[in-house]
Amino acid sequence: MADVVFDQASRVYTAGAKPAVDRLDLEIADGEFVVLVGPSGSGKSTALRMLAGLEEIDGGEIRIGGRTMVGVPSRDRDIAMVFQNYALYPNKTVGENMAFPLKMRGVEKSVQQEKVRAAADVLGLTDFLDRKPKALSGGQRQRVAMGRAIVREPQVFLMDEPLSNLDAKMRVSTRTEIAAMQRRLGVTTVYVTHDQVEAMTMGDRVALLADGRLQQFATPADLYDKPANRFVAGFIGSPAMNLFTLPVSAEGVHIGSSELRLPREVRGRISADTVTLGIRPEQWAVANGRGTAGGGADGVGGDGAGSGVKAQIDVVEELGSDAYLYAHLDDEEQTPVVVRTGGRTGARRGDQVVLTPTSEDLHLFDAESGERL
Amino acid sequence: MTATVERPAEIVPREPVNKGREGWVRRAPLLPALVFTIIVTQLPFLFTIWYSLQSWNLVRPGSQQFVGLDNYVNVFTDSQFRGVALNTVVLTVGAVLIAMVLGLAFALLLDRQFRGRGVVRTLLITPFLITPVAAALLWKTVLFSPTYGLINFVLSPFGAGQTDWISAFPLTSVMVALVWQWTPFMMLLTLAGLQSQPHDVLEAARVDGAGSFAIFREITLPHLRRFIELGIVLGAIYLVNTFDAIYMMTQGGPGTASANLPFYIYQRAFLGFDIGQSAAMGVVVVVATIIVSTFALRLIFRSFQEES
Ligand SMILES: Nc1ncnc2c1ncn2[C@@H]1O[C@H](COP(=O)(O)OP(=O)(O)O)[C@@H](O)[C@H]1O
Ligand SMILES: [Mg+2]
Repeated sequence: MADVVFDQASRVYTAGAKPAVDRLDLEIADGEFVVLVGPSGSGKSTALRMLAGLEEIDGGEIRIGGRTMVGVPSRDRDIAMVFQNYALYPNKTVGENMAFPLKMRGVEKSVQQEKVRAAADVLGLTDFLDRKPKALSGGQRQRVAMGRAIVREPQVFLMDEPLSNLDAKMRVSTRTEIAAMQRRLGVTTVYVTHDQVEAMTMGDRVALLADGRLQQFATPADLYDKPANRFVAGFIGSPAMNLFTLPVSAEGVHIGSSELRLPREVRGRISADTVTLGIRPEQWAVANGRGTAGGGADGVGGDGAGSGVKAQIDVVEELGSDAYLYAHLDDEEQTPVVVRTGGRTGARRGDQVVLTPTSEDLHLFDAESGERL
Repeated sequence: MTATVERPAEIVPREPVNKGREGWVRRAPLLPALVFTIIVTQLPFLFTIWYSLQSWNLVRPGSQQFVGLDNYVNVFTDSQFRGVALNTVVLTVGAVLIAMVLGLAFALLLDRQFRGRGVVRTLLITPFLITPVAAALLWKTVLFSPTYGLINFVLSPFGAGQTDWISAFPLTSVMVALVWQWTPFMMLLTLAGLQSQPHDVLEAARVDGAGSFAIFREITLPHLRRFIELGIVLGAIYLVNTFDAIYMMTQGGPGTASANLPFYIYQRAFLGFDIGQSAAMGVVVVVATIIVSTFALRLIFRSFQEES
């Protein structure tokens, strides 16, 4: 058991180029499950591999249990890693694969077998111990990779997109299994994924990276409710948050042909002429000219037509319980907007609707820097 | 009333329409090639078998007569033949194994990044590109020659520059030249194997606590097994027929100390003109080769099937 600290840790692949990981600061508590999430190429794998000892730490420091890892080879770090393509040893049986880390540490044969059997039991691999990895399904291989990591009883688990090669259903079930197993074992875990749903459902805390930089490190709820900047706001949540860069008016902002009034306290935070306003798809109430559209939520924030925004629906996606309306505002750019409503709205393509924010809790970002206001 | 319980009709594989004729139509154009192959490979073999049943020496015209299996009896009682057969095994196995060990070592070196790797790789491959006759000549004159050979030149400061290497160690000398020529082949094969090894498996082994030697023994060597087997079988198939190196360097001598089977058969046929005797030897060698290579090929095909 150990805590993990990234202290201004950087990695530069080629001298002079932009760092793949740029002065990363993370403090991960003992037993915590932390997810590194971000778009492809944001440096998640690099950060994890630096922790694993597979990449150099070119600047700053990484500490495991208070001990600096600069210059410490992988095998002396007491970590276990699950790779994206599992990286099973093709010439070894499932049992030998799982026993390998123990064998390399000179653990006695009988103890090895005992631990492998116990892990195989938990993972449902008992019948496959004598098979080669080639004769296993994707899900079984994934479990072997997990088994190889847990027999070690390491200080830290590292996982690099371990679910990305599974089908959608397996991914959901394995997701909960991994989270449950981590809670049971209580081993500090750093988990890399590009999938924000995995990040939000699995992590105690989530670190969001973009371009090698940490954007925000917070609990899933905080990440969703208080995104630190425009990038986080757009990345977390599906469909993504609607982000509009709007001119500021006396009482609020101009949006489309109408004016959206903002609470005085919120308006007070804006100092520039323009501001980026973020409204999540579920924070809209939908009404049409001839009354509320279908089963859409009632507007609460709008006091009269003055607060509403006119829009025209382009596409309706019925998901059963919910529906997504893809529309565009009646401004010159035809700014696209996404609305999430209850199912069976009866809304159609081409309908004119009036959208009203339902919540006072709107997100405002500086139009220049993208930082939360 | 009787209810008729219908049995599901039994399903039998349907005969493909026109199977026989289709097959012939498709394969007939290959027939000339087949006939040609039979003429140039199988007929000579049948002739050889026929010759091997005759006593026939070209030096004594009119001596040709049918003697049954006499020639074969002579082959198996000929102690020179047995010595030469042993030479063949020693030369082939020795050259192949040493070339494989050296080739693997060079491949491991070339598998890592260093400055001038391309140049080094080209230099290491060169021996394989040289005509075998030229290579043998090179070793005989430039390197092994007692009067102006480079090896004696290098050794002379240490007071050991007088050896006539080829006379002193004829079979070993030939083997050295063959190893030199075949190491690049083994190196290329194992290098291909090394470079086809997935990186993440090696990284996983590092994280799991394996040091360099453990990774080599536990992960790399099992991965290379089929490449090594392929190299050994191919190398053996070529080297068992070695002729040019022996012809150039030692002429099989002294006596038959450095002769292998192909060279010995050549001597008996074209220097001794004993057609019957050498034909019998040829047949024995062909049969033995077929038996050995069947096992060897089965071995590599098995390990390739395991992999895929
Ligand atoms: N071995 C490498 N050599 C050079 N650049 C690399 C290497 N690995 C990754 N990069 C670069 O570093 C950046 C981060 O990559 P990576 O950590 O793999 O991203 P992620 O896992 O978030 O998709 C990318 O721009 C990528 O091109
Ligand atoms: Mg990655």
